[in-house]
Amino acid sequence: MIAGRHRIDLIVNGRARSIETAPHHTLLEVLRDDLGLTGTKECCLVGECGACTVMVDGLSVDACLMLAVEADGATVTTVEGLAADGRLNPLQQAFLDHGAAQCGFCIPGQLVSAGALLAHNPRPTRVEVEEGLAGNLCRCAGYEQIIGAVLAAAASRPDA
Amino acid sequence: MSDRTVGASPARVGGLDRVTGRQAYVADVRLEGQLQAKLVSLDCARARIIAVDVSAALEAPGVHLALSAADLPQPVPRFGPQFQDRPVLAVGETHYHGEPVVAIAAETRDAAEEAASLVRIDYEELPAVFTISGALAPDAPLVQDPSLRPGDPLAATNILREHHFGWGDVDAAVAAVVVEGTYTFPMVTQFAIEPHGFIAAPDGDGIVIWSSIQHPNWLQRTVAGVLHLPLAKVRVIAPDPGGAFGGKQHAKYEPLVAFMALRTGRPVRLVLSLEETFQAVRRGASEVHVRSGFRSDGTLVFRDIDANYLIGAYADIADRTVAKGSYTSAGPYRTPTARIVARSILSHTTPSTAFRGFGNPQQIWAVESNMDEAAHALGLDPVALRLQNLARPGEVFIPGDTPADGDWARAVERAAEMIGWGSPPPPGRGRGIAVGLKSGPTTGLSYATVRLLADGSVIVNAGTSDMGQGARTIFAQIAADELGAPLDWVTVIMGDTAVVPYDQQTSASRSSVFMGNAVLRACRQIQDRLRAMAATLESVEESAVVVDHGEVRVGQRSMPIRDVLVRGLGRLGGEIMGIGEMRKEPAPDHPLGGTAAFFEFNCTAVEVDVDRATGDIVVTRFVTVSDVGKALNPFQVRGQDEGAAIMGLGHTLMEHYIYDDAGRIRNLGAIDYRIPTSMDLPLRIESDTIENADGPGPYGSKGMSEGALLPVAPAVAAAIRDATGVVIRDLPLTPERVWRALRDAPARPDRERGEVPAP
Amino acid sequence: MRAFEYERPAHLDDALALLSRHGLEARPLAGGTDLIIRLRDGTIRPRVVVDLKRIAELEGQIRDNDVGITIGARTVMTDIAADARIRRDFPALAEAASVVGAVQIRNRATLAGNVCNASPAADTAPALLVYGAAVVAYGAAGVRRVPIDEFFVRSGVTTLARDELVVVLELPRPPGRQGSVHVRRTRRRGHDLASVTLACAVSSDGITRLAYGSVGPRPILVVDETGLLADPSAPEQAKLRRLEVLLVDASPSPRSMRASPEYRLAMLELLALRAVCTAIERLAGGAAA
Repeated sequence: MIAGRHRIDLIVNGRARSIETAPHHTLLEVLRDDLGLTGTKECCLVGECGACTVMVDGLSVDACLMLAVEADGATVTTVEGLAADGRLNPLQQAFLDHGAAQCGFCIPGQLVSAGALLAHNPRPTRVEVEEGLAGNLCRCAGYEQIIGAVLAAAASRPDA
Repeated sequence: MSDRTVGASPARVGGLDRVTGRQAYVADVRLEGQLQAKLVSLDCARARIIAVDVSAALEAPGVHLALSAADLPQPVPRFGPQFQDRPVLAVGETHYHGEPVVAIAAETRDAAEEAASLVRIDYEELPAVFTISGALAPDAPLVQDPSLRPGDPLAATNILREHHFGWGDVDAAVAAVVVEGTYTFPMVTQFAIEPHGFIAAPDGDGIVIWSSIQHPNWLQRTVAGVLHLPLAKVRVIAPDPGGAFGGKQHAKYEPLVAFMALRTGRPVRLVLSLEETFQAVRRGASEVHVRSGFRSDGTLVFRDIDANYLIGAYADIADRTVAKGSYTSAGPYRTPTARIVARSILSHTTPSTAFRGFGNPQQIWAVESNMDEAAHALGLDPVALRLQNLARPGEVFIPGDTPADGDWARAVERAAEMIGWGSPPPPGRGRGIAVGLKSGPTTGLSYATVRLLADGSVIVNAGTSDMGQGARTIFAQIAADELGAPLDWVTVIMGDTAVVPYDQQTSASRSSVFMGNAVLRACRQIQDRLRAMAATLESVEESAVVVDHGEVRVGQRSMPIRDVLVRGLGRLGGEIMGIGEMRKEPAPDHPLGGTAAFFEFNCTAVEVDVDRATGDIVVTRFVTVSDVGKALNPFQVRGQDEGAAIMGLGHTLMEHYIYDDAGRIRNLGAIDYRIPTSMDLPLRIESDTIENADGPGPYGSKGMSEGALLPVAPAVAAAIRDATGVVIRDLPLTPERVWRALRDAPARPDRERGEVPAP
Repeated sequence: MRAFEYERPAHLDDALALLSRHGLEARPLAGGTDLIIRLRDGTIRPRVVVDLKRIAELEGQIRDNDVGITIGARTVMTDIAADARIRRDFPALAEAASVVGAVQIRNRATLAGNVCNASPAADTAPALLVYGAAVVAYGAAGVRRVPIDEFFVRSGVTTLARDELVVVLELPRPPGRQGSVHVRRTRRRGHDLASVTLACAVSSDGITRLAYGSVGPRPILVVDETGLLADPSAPEQAKLRRLEVLLVDASPSPRSMRASPEYRLAMLELLALRAVCTAIERLAGGAAA
């Protein structure tokens, strides 16, 4: 049985994209394989590790648990879309300054999740950061540095 | 001149790519015309392969290859770092749950998956051994064909090797107090967030391999051997691993994809799923019996250890982990006499391999737990017991090996001080302390080349694998400081055997020392050449010229290196090259083949809160102190030590493979194999370092990154005992296990430190 | 994963027609956090996946009226956990929703999907049971209102017909005041599947409702009408004895990887007692009508 292909239109990192995809391909696969955005990573593929975290319509989600066709009409942001005009966003800079990235494999997902957290809760407590990032596993276990970076980025934001 | 970077914490070199998503890991590499591979394995621990039918698979659209052992050169090539026991594909029998029988190559991942599902394997499930007792039973099926070990008296058993270490006469030793116990360590897996990935592509009359391998040169040798190619025709490109922890040290499926690439004439890409990765690599499990004898004043008299490690179906480097981990298992103590017997026992399970700690955590769990029990038996404070027996700097504590190379007592005192050992913990909580020792590399060879370019910028070629420990940054720092270049004027090239000179391996926490020294020596060679250049330019003797970091000084005058370069290189331009080497030759008579280049030493102290009703453990405070010689980059050192600590909490509190009664792994994947998340951290974690510049590495540094994992489990268990009185000798200390131990223990009241329990 | 066809009906009737036509070969897709895992591991191999998220009649809204609160079928856990009305009046549900996976899962997982998936360990099920929730389904036979206790059959099985879809979940406002809570046991503090998951509601009329999951093939509701559990001054031993009787149908699986039957039963009793205590405190603290 050969399934039909569907055309989906979505905005990825600010750019309108139109792609033909098979329904059984996940958003993660389409981002990486069809759009060449390999910053988002494949790891557990069951929504446990968060290495594939992306923003879809303003919410952080595991791209491995979304079919690409479900993202038709959606606005998607990946790690590649965080730095505007080539300038690191405050979280990215904070991650650098605090030594948050060791092997770096979990970092794209961490950055997206942290961004979602701060968008929703600009001044999180430490516990709120821990809970907000619980869906992003880090085996280098640089959690202290990652949490430190997120808190520092939050503290450095100009007050609304 | 630039500020010194060594000892400071400049931002990680490679950090920018990591925070922008530009870092290319092996799975991100895309080659023109690449085929996607998929492995086919059986859902059982051990099976006799009766027939393999790939005809339907080959007919599926987009399929180029469906390879089984029958399609490989005969006899099927075997490889392995210690024994050439692992076949490229399963031959006649599968020996562990997940051993591949067939490998598919197809145009797309979908096509490969479809074809894989069409492969028909006729097989007969066979009885398997997957526990120590099962493997040692007299009628146990043999994991390895005895013909692979001709002349070996153990060939008809599942004991691959039995190691004997020790000194003195344990049986003649007289001890007032003897403490003994058996301690078990579970099977756990590295669970790097990056699953394993391998790509091979034909390259003229040779081949190129991409792999997140920690040992590119070793892999080059393995692939060249299997393919019968000269080394110069095998190029290994090693992208930074997305975490490795030892699981990516040695060849796994690179030989397989190499054959597939040559067979198809196309690049072949194999990226394992996380489940397949769990089936591919793990740590050795163990059962260690420790018997220690003390004088009544706490002086250690003897250590008698009998250890069984359950390794996997193929040896990989597991037997070396058993040897190395056991050799130092008596501990960093003054031990008058010791007897250590350690066995590597084969089983029909995932081949165990290197994993942070390299055989030591299993022994240290046992011996340090035993030390804590001894402290209680002797009525002595656990910190005092350690201090009393720790080897002092310069003291020989393993006859024939490197003397204690650090002020270990200082690390213990510091950890005790930081956790407030002298004062009682808050009510209901308990404290525990443990130490960990690991030998650094026993032999080694690293080359580095450094090129000082005409404008003063620098290129370093160093073959270390930067898997997060920050090796790239360290080498950049060394070159920057020695040659006076700003850090961002230094480029470090790694991971390409065609371009980067030989490095033996990235393991044993060796790279800051071995490769760091090679880089340092290359820089010093450049400095020599600069001195000669300046002497000529200034018409003075070389001895009158001093090159110190970025400056060249002749008498009272000083000028930046760049000035000398511009004038000295002249109109032809050019560069100055340096080659550096650090070599530690093998000592064939030594039980491990060489003495320790240095030791990693760590003291860990923890405070825990135990919920007696549920068995939940909360680590309220965690202190870790490592003896590092010199922290070349303190941020990175802290990240590594705290990371190792949290990884240690994983196997201490929650990690273990769960098997069914036929030897199949039940908890493959991330849902039921639990590792610490951001919500599982100690409430407060602190780390510190002892830096006495007493290491053999650049600026007195030693290797680090494994030490802080070693004593985590015994420190936590000791704290649980302090809080509740129960002694648990099996890991992980899950809530259920703790609950059971509390329930089964004789009732006893909470004990405030220093008070005697009410009768 | 295996290929399948994908349909994205805009209307409920179209969706139902698809499900009816394809029968067992069609699977509805809501948040995908359960379905996609099973598609990947091959435990289900549908011919057609029917995406419910563009159906006009299905809402992602939480509404309140005189009778209680309705939760639209497309409502995700994040919104349930954050909703002020649910947190105030149905805190056990908000608490349960807040521990379903991690943030990324909660942003996609729907309550309706969680209920239809019918995992015995579903964290939201005990809360829905103690609150006497009802599933409102729509199908060929029209609208059907099914009390939640009649909805769960066993692991993976509900009384939802093949050609029916859940439209809303209803939470009736309790007649008097009540205090309620959700508690659970996991293997770590980070997100995890529960080895025991439990909700308790104590109401001002002295009735205690307790529901628990992950200790048997389906979540179970028990009710104590004696007033003993709800009585703040009743001795703990008496409450434990009562709980022992109430919890007699708990049947933990001996094959579970997460916990042994012995531990599960012990934790069930412990959590039940703790939950009753907390519910009493919350009732006394003035939980709203």
